Amino acid sequence: MADSFTIFSFAARNLRRKPLRTAVLIASIGLLVTALVFVLSFVRRVDSVVKVASDRLGADVIIVPSGSRGAAEDVLLENKVKTFYMDKALVEKIGRINGIDALTYQTYLASIVGQCCDVPETVVVAFNQDTDFIIKPWLGKAFGRRLKKGEALVGNESAMNISVGLTEVDGVLFGNLFKMVGVLEKTGTGLDTAIFIDESNIEDILTKGKTALKSGQVSIIFARVKKGFDPSKVAGDIGDAFVEVNAVARKDIGRNILSTLRDLNRVFFVTVTLAAVLSIFLVWAVFSAIANERSWEIGIMRAIGARESHVSRLFLIEVLFIGAAGSFIGIIAGTAVSVFLGKHFMMLKNVTADLGTGERIIIGLCSLAAGTAICVAGALSPVRRLKKLEPLLAIRKD
Amino acid sequence: MSQIELSGISKEYAVGDLTIRAVDGVSLSIEKGDFLSIVGHSGSGKTTLLSIIGGIIRPSTGKVLYEGSDICRLDDDRVSEYRNRKIGFMFQFASLLPILTAKENVILPGLFGPAGATARGKAAEEYLSVVGLSDKINSFPSQLSGGQQRRVAIARALINDPEVILADEPTGDLDEDTEAEIMDLFRKLNKERQVTFIFITHNGDLARQAARQLRMHSGRLEEVSRIPA
Ligand SMILES: Nc1ncnc2c1ncn2[C@@H]1O[C@H](COP(=O)(O)OP(=O)(O)O)[C@@H](O)[C@H]1O
Ligand SMILES: [Mg+2]
Repeated sequence: MADSFTIFSFAARNLRRKPLRTAVLIASIGLLVTALVFVLSFVRRVDSVVKVASDRLGADVIIVPSGSRGAAEDVLLENKVKTFYMDKALVEKIGRINGIDALTYQTYLASIVGQCCDVPETVVVAFNQDTDFIIKPWLGKAFGRRLKKGEALVGNESAMNISVGLTEVDGVLFGNLFKMVGVLEKTGTGLDTAIFIDESNIEDILTKGKTALKSGQVSIIFARVKKGFDPSKVAGDIGDAFVEVNAVARKDIGRNILSTLRDLNRVFFVTVTLAAVLSIFLVWAVFSAIANERSWEIGIMRAIGARESHVSRLFLIEVLFIGAAGSFIGIIAGTAVSVFLGKHFMMLKNVTADLGTGERIIIGLCSLAAGTAICVAGALSPVRRLKKLEPLLAIRKD
Repeated sequence: MSQIELSGISKEYAVGDLTIRAVDGVSLSIEKGDFLSIVGHSGSGKTTLLSIIGGIIRPSTGKVLYEGSDICRLDDDRVSEYRNRKIGFMFQFASLLPILTAKENVILPGLFGPAGATARGKAAEEYLSVVGLSDKINSFPSQLSGGQQRRVAIARALINDPEVILADEPTGDLDEDTEAEIMDLFRKLNKERQVTFIFITHNGDLARQAARQLRMHSGRLEEVSRIPA
């Protein structure tokens, strides 16, 4: 038992002599790392969500009514429920713009529980199956036929809410009965929370009058650009030709969100940096007190042959333990917070794509490194001072 | 070549504007296997001198040659090694680490030596039994009497098989029987292993047991008596 007395058990004994103080230090580092993990996860998540979503949108140019660009991004990237409409005749007119290869359009309807529908609040997308190239890639093997009138497909996330899956479920949408016949593959975009119906249903929906939609309106037009044409240029041409629409190239989608995110990043960076500096001060203050308390003991150790490096090593083990334990707790807490609390952030509320395990591990390792580095940084100068004390003076100082 | 050669050692402490000369021009040759006692009034500089020999404090002037090399010029690692391997130091005051058991305190110097602490567990138990504390191996200093603590410190000074033992009033809080036992142990180590002993005492009888008797007075050292080897 005592035969295995080593510098590690010595360090452990030191940590246990004032358990409360050790616990408070660990908790402080834990809090800092929690904040760090949460912030890193949040930033990475929003960033990747915007990129993934715009990459997966099978269109080069997106055309929405003037002034509705923000709303469209909210629907496509953040799964918010918003509607906006423009004249359907625009589809044909825009198709004549030079460089357009293919066009399709969709009409968005907002389902409101109790009022019109018996499904949770979501966007109902009416699309044209003949021209569609947006939804088709996600139908996959799961659904190999055309969608009939009175049938609906459900986005991957919504499927869980309405418990569609193995069995077919009926639902009332805008006063009409729909059979939920299939589930879309996961897209990582706003499509995941939507419900999809064929355009031919719109007439019946209008008849029941349970929506703000008027006849001859669509919400969004997706365009594919011919090879050799620059999507930004084509989008510019469309915008110039039709004042009533807003055309955006795919690479510009989410730019608003990303620039907001950049500002947020700055705020996070400053906050976390201040918290880190605060932690360094805390560790420094605690270890200064520890150094004073233990100077007599260190003097004895030095007098019986401990090198400066032995003193450093002893404290390094203690510091690393505090740093690693705090970081470990922080990583778990931070990940938990980012998973659970993340749902309550508007920017992430409906975001479907979660961080991969690899990314979480990288965030965890960075935070572990930061947490322990902060501990070491804080303890550095008190320990340096301590190990430089002349042994006899340290011993006699009582 | 003498084992230890002190030449012109002085040590001054600055206390505010004053300088206290605790050791004043001490020169002394110590041969391997010598058995020395030092007596002197409190404040005469005995502890300071012993600490200088032990490499625990540097003199203000003068040289301490150990086997010909000046320990005051060694870098920190080498002087630590000197304290750890060559010297066994017994402090005047309580010197056990309160968070370690008796056995762990005895092992401690081994932690800083080459063998590593694990190999020292057995030796620690042996030395604790030599000083009569076999039954207190796992006691903490707070659970031991002053005399018992001192015996643990003696075992600690012996654990690395030092060549020189520097003992600052080693039998101070011991009863007469234990004191006699400890002195017997010292003499035995001195005879069998040629361990050099320098001990400070207030006890004239003990001092007279040493082959070389020294006295300190106001930082100066004089040799009172020497039994030729
Ligand atoms: N760290 C110190 N600072 C100032 N003065 C000291 C210090 N250590 C010892 N002294 C002084 O040096 C003198 C010698 O002390 P010391 O060597 O402990 O004597 P002794 O062991 O013979 O009692 C005393 O006057 C003491 O007050
Ligand atoms: Mg003294």
